[in-house]
Amino acid sequence: MFIDIGFYQKKKYNQNAFGDFFLSKRYKDTGRIISVLSDGLGSGIKANILACMTASMLMKFIEAHSDIKDACEIIMNSLPVCKVRKISYSTFSAIDCDEDGNAKIVEEGNPEFLWIRNNEIMTPEYKVITSTTFTNRHMHIYNIKLEKGDRIIFCSDGITQAALGTKELRLGIRREGLIEIVRSKLKDFPDISSDELARYIVRQVEIIEPDHKLKDDTSVACIYFRNPRESMIFTGPPYDMAQDNYYAANFYNFKGKKAIAGGTTANLISRELNIEIEADRNINVGKLPGISHMKGVDLVTEGILTLTKTAEYLESGIKSDDAAGKLMDFFLDSDVIKFMVGVKLNQAHYNPNLPIEIEIRKNIIKKIVKLLEDKYTKKVDVTYI
Amino acid sequence: MNKIKVRICSGTTCFVMGSSFLNDLYDIIPEKYNGQVIVEPSLCLGQCSKSGKHSKAPYVLVDDEIVAEATIESVISAIDKKVSSNE
Repeated sequence: MFIDIGFYQKKKYNQNAFGDFFLSKRYKDTGRIISVLSDGLGSGIKANILACMTASMLMKFIEAHSDIKDACEIIMNSLPVCKVRKISYSTFSAIDCDEDGNAKIVEEGNPEFLWIRNNEIMTPEYKVITSTTFTNRHMHIYNIKLEKGDRIIFCSDGITQAALGTKELRLGIRREGLIEIVRSKLKDFPDISSDELARYIVRQVEIIEPDHKLKDDTSVACIYFRNPRESMIFTGPPYDMAQDNYYAANFYNFKGKKAIAGGTTANLISRELNIEIEADRNINVGKLPGISHMKGVDLVTEGILTLTKTAEYLESGIKSDDAAGKLMDFFLDSDVIKFMVGVKLNQAHYNPNLPIEIEIRKNIIKKIVKLLEDKYTKKVDVTYI
Repeated sequence: MNKIKVRICSGTTCFVMGSSFLNDLYDIIPEKYNGQVIVEPSLCLGQCSKSGKHSKAPYVLVDDEIVAEATIESVISAIDKKVSSNE
């Protein structure tokens, strides 16, 4: 099974910093994932610092301890109390799960998470642990077994308390409101990705709020257990020309989605497998060469310049509607990405007359892989050929 | 009469050496030659590796004739030559 994680948040109206903080880490070797959502007291910079510190420390503690319960208990017992409001500096939810579906979830102060199977809400059993230092703090611990198709949804109280105090919803939309939003979406789009679902929930909540102004930081983290969407990208001609046909066929016969980044690479596949390429001049916005079309391949772009730009987009999270933007979408729509990287040097790139310095393919790929793994929690596999 | 085919290389080297400045040809050529000349972008034409130590990018192919260090003017004059020899 693949664990698809998506997160989306919006700031409280008129604030310049997020008061909720989400962290997630995927461990490639063990298939384990740890995710943490923390809601800092108040809003703005102060809340941001509190949430960020809680989430980062909790993450480190869970990593260091074999049991998530111990890690969360330490945090619960040590979080200070605000002198003015007499409540805890931050609240949190944490999940530690693996690809076999074993999940341990701990919550302290955040709204109760949703566990959805076949569009029905599950009601798991939990244990309560009361803090030894602050008796008004209780931690809920869940030990659950997830199946394919199951979803877990965490949120901050900005979601459940949306529209609080309005005539229609005095107490906010509450958990029931969230359930309604999620179930109606899943009814129409049962396979929606976690990322899209998280965005959808936050947007719906924003619509419900009077004047569409969020009264609190609003965050949603979705987890979806499903079959992985696999994709392969071929970039750069192989070192050994004699192997061109083998690699071209290998790429073309791959079952998932396919992309080629590189004119020479695309020409190579076209030549070896006798498939026509057609360049598309509609998407050529000046700064990057456009895309091309090849039957059986989902995306064909130029190589180094497009990859360099894609790395920039992945880093900033902001993209344009050009070839690199399309390549970024290609990556983000996949869970498991296989890179086939040809290491033959293109002499023409090392011409002293070129007005810009062209990066070495291997270096850009390394940068993209790191971003995809760390920032977007994708599973990536690189083969140099 | 066969239409003349112009292919502008948009490979990495050609692109950074200025083939993006040839984009105006996509508008100029159909208008000037009344649809008798087809112009399209192309993936790497592979000319850099053939031209020895220093490439003369950007390259444009006018039918089978290579225009090296192409500019809008040099491409137009290559097409003009082709048109007049065809007549």
